[in-house]
Amino acid sequence: MSNAEKPQSFSKEKSATKTYSLVELVKAPTTMADKGPDDSIFSFPTVALLELLLTLGVIAFLVLFSLGVDAPLEEIANPNTTTDPAKAPWYLMGLQEMLEHGHPTLMAVGMPTLMVLFVMSIPYIDNVRKGSGVWFTSKKGKKVTRNTAIYTAVVMPAYIFLDSTFPLREILRGQLPDFILQAVFPAILMGAIVLLPVIVVWRTKPTPRELMLTLFTVLFVGAIVFTLAGFLFRGPGFELYWPWDMPGDYRPWHNL
Amino acid sequence: MSKLIDFVTNSRVWRSFFRHGWPDNPLDRSLVMTSNIFLHLHSVKTSRKSLKWSYSMGLGIISAIVFGILTITGLMLMFYYAPTVERAYGYIITLQTLVPFGQLMRNMHRWGAHLMVLVVVLHMARVFYTGAYKPPREFNWVVGVVLLLLTLGASFTGYLLPWDQLAYWAITVGTSVAAYEPMMGSTIKGLMLGGPEVGQEALTRFYALHVMLIPMGIALLTSLHIWRVRKDGGLAANAVEDGGSDE
Repeated sequence: MSNAEKPQSFSKEKSATKTYSLVELVKAPTTMADKGPDDSIFSFPTVALLELLLTLGVIAFLVLFSLGVDAPLEEIANPNTTTDPAKAPWYLMGLQEMLEHGHPTLMAVGMPTLMVLFVMSIPYIDNVRKGSGVWFTSKKGKKVTRNTAIYTAVVMPAYIFLDSTFPLREILRGQLPDFILQAVFPAILMGAIVLLPVIVVWRTKPTPRELMLTLFTVLFVGAIVFTLAGFLFRGPGFELYWPWDMPGDYRPWHNL
Repeated sequence: MSKLIDFVTNSRVWRSFFRHGWPDNPLDRSLVMTSNIFLHLHSVKTSRKSLKWSYSMGLGIISAIVFGILTITGLMLMFYYAPTVERAYGYIITLQTLVPFGQLMRNMHRWGAHLMVLVVVLHMARVFYTGAYKPPREFNWVVGVVLLLLTLGASFTGYLLPWDQLAYWAITVGTSVAAYEPMMGSTIKGLMLGGPEVGQEALTRFYALHVMLIPMGIALLTSLHIWRVRKDGGLAANAVEDGGSDE
């Protein structure tokens, strides 16, 4: 067998003293060696004590708050007397508010399902390791988040107010098929509101992280706006009122 | 006296309980962590970066603490409650007026539940905005989203139990949303309520979900969640910046 036909080993030569060879290049963080001084402390006692203090603090806060404010309790449940307004628990008021603005299957099932699926898939869309562990990752990320948050905090309340006071869907009822008015129309409108900032950011050649910051912020701030609108601003007949100016003795926060 | 202390701490019983010396040196401080099931959630050493309040605001730990408080106060409430339409409301009245600290326990459970939903949502926002969902933490992010949904489920099922007007109509409104699901909506609603409307069957089911199934799910997934945090290298604040990470 000639020399050329021999299977080539990575080390090229067979040396009795060389016991290693380069087998593969792996993309992964290296060990902590030479990464500057080890900036860590013993978990015991410092971290353990901090957690104990935090536990005591949370307990103290809850006890004090509970001594001051009693949990609400109304009359015994009566299926024959509807309360007005009848509201879900506060964290579902976003959903109940959505119901006011379009077909229930679209607003209360379709959109929330899409939202949960999107949130779950975020790390698989933005699968870049870099930028982890830093608030907003970069200066641009911070700016994108702030602008999107302001945009959403203005547009979403405006949408809720306009759709409730000039409900195009009701005004045009009978002139267009119900499906178009209640499902297609709100879906396009909602989609446009959510996608507008994404398109604006898209034009600045964003990283996946910046896109996620935009989309998540629209949905997160939007969810807060809808929850607050449903919880604080809806009074009897599920009409819009100022929270401090509700008719009768209805006060939204008594419903907690 | 010191002889007595020496005798006790050197006894086989003591040494089987505490398998390390007084933690005033690195070895025993390590052993405290590795030989204790609760402290074992942490590594022996913690980086200062991940302890910064401005980074995590302690929201994850606070959710776990509130869940613990809810478990304890919830257990106490169980001693004075039965999920029947005829008696549930009466039990709440008794609890508030006759049972020592009953009102306080109920208040803590109620406000604790609201606090937990709030803190868990804030925790999710914190993890998102610090980019802590990025690889290798993708799976733990998904676990976290499921935990958020379970938290909402725990709070929602508990809402019915006082059986007052507030509870009744909130659950009636809440479950009617499920019926809008086009294919299986009425099936889902039927499964939740056990009948066409909120009644005894619904109360029984919500009680079972509230005191057993959902808390067990939360406890199990929280264990997985915290274990994954350690497996993925602690908080993302520790992320090692070097050329080896893919971009």
